[in-house]
Amino acid sequence: MTFDRVPIVEAALDAALAALPAAPRPLRPEAPVRERSTLTAAAAVALFEDAVLSRALDVAARELKKTNRSFYTIGSAGHEINVVLGAQLRITDPAFLHYRSGALMMARARQLPGSTPAFDTLLGIVASSEDPIAQGRHKVWGSRALWVPPQTSTIASHLPKATGLAFSLARARRMGIAPELPADAIVLASFGDASANHATALAGINTARYAARLGLPCPILFVCEDNGTGISVPTPSGWIAETFGSLPHLRYVAAEGEVDEVWEAVATVIDEVRRLRTPAFLHLPTIRLWGHAGSDAEHTYRAAAEIAATEARDPLIRIARRLTELGAADPEDLRAIVRDTRERVGRAAEEAATRPRLATTAEVVAPMAPNHPERVEQRAVAGEEVDRHALFGGTLPEEASGPNARTLAGCLNAALTDEMARRPELLLFGEDVARKGGVYNVTNGLQRRFGAARVFDTLLDETSILGIAQGAAHLGLLPLPEIQYLAYLHNALDQLRGEAASLQFFSSGQFRNPMVVRVAGLAYQKGFGGHFHNDNSIGALRDIPGLVLAVPARGDDAARMLRGAVAMAIEDGRVVVFLEPIALYHEKDLHADGDGGWLTTYPAPPEALLPGEVGVHEPDASDLLIVSYANGLRLSLQAARRLREEHDIAARVLDLRWLNPLPTEALREHAASCGAVLVVDECRATGGGIADAVIADLVEHGGRTTGLRSVRAVDSFVPLGSSTSAVLVGTDQIVAAAVASVRSGAVTRA
Amino acid sequence: MTRAERGILVLPGRGAYTAASLGSLDLAHPWTRRADELREAAGLPKLTELDGAARFDPTLHLQPVHASPLIWLASLLDAERAAADHRIAAVIGNSLGWYTALTAAGVLSFDDGFALVSELGRLQQEPLPDGGRGGQVIYPLTDASWQPDEALRATVSSAVAAPSGNGHGRAFASIELGGFTVLAGDDAGVERLLRHLAPVRVGERLYPLRLALHGPYHTPLVAHVAAAARELLAHLAWSQPQVTLIDGRGARWTPWSTDPAALRDYTLGDQVTTPYRFATSLRVALREEAPDRLVLTGPGNSLGGICGQALVAEGYHGIHGRADFDAVQATDPIVLSMRR
Repeated sequence: MTFDRVPIVEAALDAALAALPAAPRPLRPEAPVRERSTLTAAAAVALFEDAVLSRALDVAARELKKTNRSFYTIGSAGHEINVVLGAQLRITDPAFLHYRSGALMMARARQLPGSTPAFDTLLGIVASSEDPIAQGRHKVWGSRALWVPPQTSTIASHLPKATGLAFSLARARRMGIAPELPADAIVLASFGDASANHATALAGINTARYAARLGLPCPILFVCEDNGTGISVPTPSGWIAETFGSLPHLRYVAAEGEVDEVWEAVATVIDEVRRLRTPAFLHLPTIRLWGHAGSDAEHTYRAAAEIAATEARDPLIRIARRLTELGAADPEDLRAIVRDTRERVGRAAEEAATRPRLATTAEVVAPMAPNHPERVEQRAVAGEEVDRHALFGGTLPEEASGPNARTLAGCLNAALTDEMARRPELLLFGEDVARKGGVYNVTNGLQRRFGAARVFDTLLDETSILGIAQGAAHLGLLPLPEIQYLAYLHNALDQLRGEAASLQFFSSGQFRNPMVVRVAGLAYQKGFGGHFHNDNSIGALRDIPGLVLAVPARGDDAARMLRGAVAMAIEDGRVVVFLEPIALYHEKDLHADGDGGWLTTYPAPPEALLPGEVGVHEPDASDLLIVSYANGLRLSLQAARRLREEHDIAARVLDLRWLNPLPTEALREHAASCGAVLVVDECRATGGGIADAVIADLVEHGGRTTGLRSVRAVDSFVPLGSSTSAVLVGTDQIVAAAVASVRSGAVTRA
Repeated sequence: MTRAERGILVLPGRGAYTAASLGSLDLAHPWTRRADELREAAGLPKLTELDGAARFDPTLHLQPVHASPLIWLASLLDAERAAADHRIAAVIGNSLGWYTALTAAGVLSFDDGFALVSELGRLQQEPLPDGGRGGQVIYPLTDASWQPDEALRATVSSAVAAPSGNGHGRAFASIELGGFTVLAGDDAGVERLLRHLAPVRVGERLYPLRLALHGPYHTPLVAHVAAAARELLAHLAWSQPQVTLIDGRGARWTPWSTDPAALRDYTLGDQVTTPYRFATSLRVALREEAPDRLVLTGPGNSLGGICGQALVAEGYHGIHGRADFDAVQATDPIVLSMRR
């Protein structure tokens, strides 16, 4: 069997079109293809045109690959029946698309005159900087004008945010946000049969059903384009229908048959989702031609006869036959469409291949982490006028004298209240945040003040919480999702890594999903809770390009950092993780019980802190610089007192506050004026925390090669009870390392 | 150009017919004779008389009722020759050129095309509902090397956005040519545009330049023209085009999937009352049709530079500035102008 099946399938199409008999009863262009059908003859031919165009683009990608001018060959060949969705959904129905959506996109672009979908696609295939959506950073289906946020996922990890957007539509409209989308807009999320098994896919579908069960509008159309194969692994026959065909709160529709029948089924299901505002699942059978991608040698895992049998079911041939049967098209017209399309796409491909590509690092990373500190500062100050006395019911939080209002939790609660009042686009949600007011009372009273539309409890699924955040943010809302414990974030991490943090990068800043993800985490809860409530690994977060990681330790810092984080999200579209140390939420004391040393006065808005702005304690001390954050800051301050009293060492303590990006400028400056440097990192030793990065920066860029030490938590999960002290950093350890550091001067680790 | 090459046929608009265009018409061509019959029947001077005049009389030749069918016929005759010499993949037109395109592509018969262009020419010669005439003003958007000039664009935006009503008049974008923009307004609006747009010299010409005897086409000010045309031209028979058309929004109408009723609705609706984005139609033609040549019919060569500017804007075939374009034109021209 020939490995390159493209010419064979192309020739089979030509042969089939050549053999088509003339239409028995030609229809006028405006005539319906069947009685009472909403599909006209002209529109049916347009479907064929768009399907053929999609096929020609797949061929072009593979042709260009032969001369190393294209960089993406996952195609849409065999899936072209999705053209029916492209023609019937509106361009104001946000669409999160499967990577085999060529025909759908061609039909969707047809709704916007002036679009150049063929050339745009080719620019993506050749990775040109002129690709209007990703500028060559990825081949994606995406368009701002067509409301198609780009998806790079091949594993259906876009479903949670698609559901999130559907869930947020009505809320956004009520709040006067995203008015460009009509009230009856619906969301499309398409994916393959293999990725329908993915946990994120199931999470997205489950959350839509959950919303429907609660009676909340969630107008989303899930489309499973079922080609029966995931790369080389066949999907069990009937699996999609068995799995999704009878789920409560999810209408299931199988769109099978001829193109006009698929059209009717799609029309009906779109209409239902639009009217009823509830989710539906459309099962769209397709085939896959030419393997998974250009590099996939299908003959190594499928029999030749099986490949040939699949090819014989080419949807282009089936549509062509049906159009002539119905009288919608003359065979010669269909042949002319194929000739003309192949010719223009082939030539356009040659032109596209000459277009420029991103060349410099600066060009590539430009949209990844927009950073406009001056504008962010202005944004932090600007906000709606609020009668704060009315808001807080008399006593302002900055005037509060009781200790509970002056803890980290108390200050955060006040800061969230102020921000929610100042910024009507803010939404706050998560598990237990609304009625209960949070596990640690940080969100206490917010739902009562701001209502259930803006402050609400979610189902227990972090993937969906982050999905709702992304979807809401796509619309212009500013979500403050809460992840109840850091350890719970890991099962949903790809929603930050692969999805939220990459959106500006892959859309060249045309789509954004700004958010501030509040996460309760870190250890030191006096032995309570065990690993899942004491997780101290932040490496996975620091590793995400463009993600901002804020970790406050004190109440006043937390309030000001939260404002900075919110302003950064609004102004620069950034995704910020705001990690709140659980053990410090209600801590009052620093050195001794009852000293109140960890209480602070609430800083009234609009005071804000931005990345780079560190906290410095004992600024005049210079024997030693202790660099820390969160619980480590409190321990370091305790150690500093002992160092002074017991060892006559004057230690300056620097609170990093921002762990991504690290405040390297301030760090180097302070390190340069101190005799030695000790990094106190409460996170796990090997890459879990920031110690490696801080020391490497001081060595490489800070001109420091001696007097550097670190103390870090042990590489272990955090155990229960008194055993926790065996793995966590303690004051004694800090003191010992500090003394050794000041006295030795070598780069060592305690 | 060989038959293997793909050509885009480009049909000019109302500014096309100038003194140099006199004598354009092929007197022996049956279309010329038929047009004269139709003009006579309507009690209007024959097109051959206008075209054969000893001298160009702007007050006569530029009147819409004469200029429109004259340009239409001259373009159509050239288009027929172009189709004989070149393989035309798609047809675009600028403003009035759209009506020519409809006829050239076979959407309308010769007689119906003549009726369309004549009726619209007549309607557009009548005063606006407010009794005024309105008009169009052309202004450049690029510098001498055909690179976008943001300052000029900002001037245009502020001129259009300046306060309207209460004697300030109404002003709108009318035609997007790419390197130039055409703005339009009622009489007070045109005055305002002329006041707001800073004088700029391009070559011999000083801009803003008011286009003689042009009305505020492609704006809501002529909504009544669209309404009247729909009524008066209800009898026209619209067919699918025989070659792909790209309209003034950049929409493609293929010979295979076009609904003629939709084409009619656009032509006598949005086409009349919303901006004609000729630059967009050119961009779509370059990107989606991937032509080897742009074939410009007469009369005149009013779109020669505009097409060059479109190639530069697109970076087509590596053309990034006027010098690149001139070099290509001198050796293996992309823009083939049938007339000068």
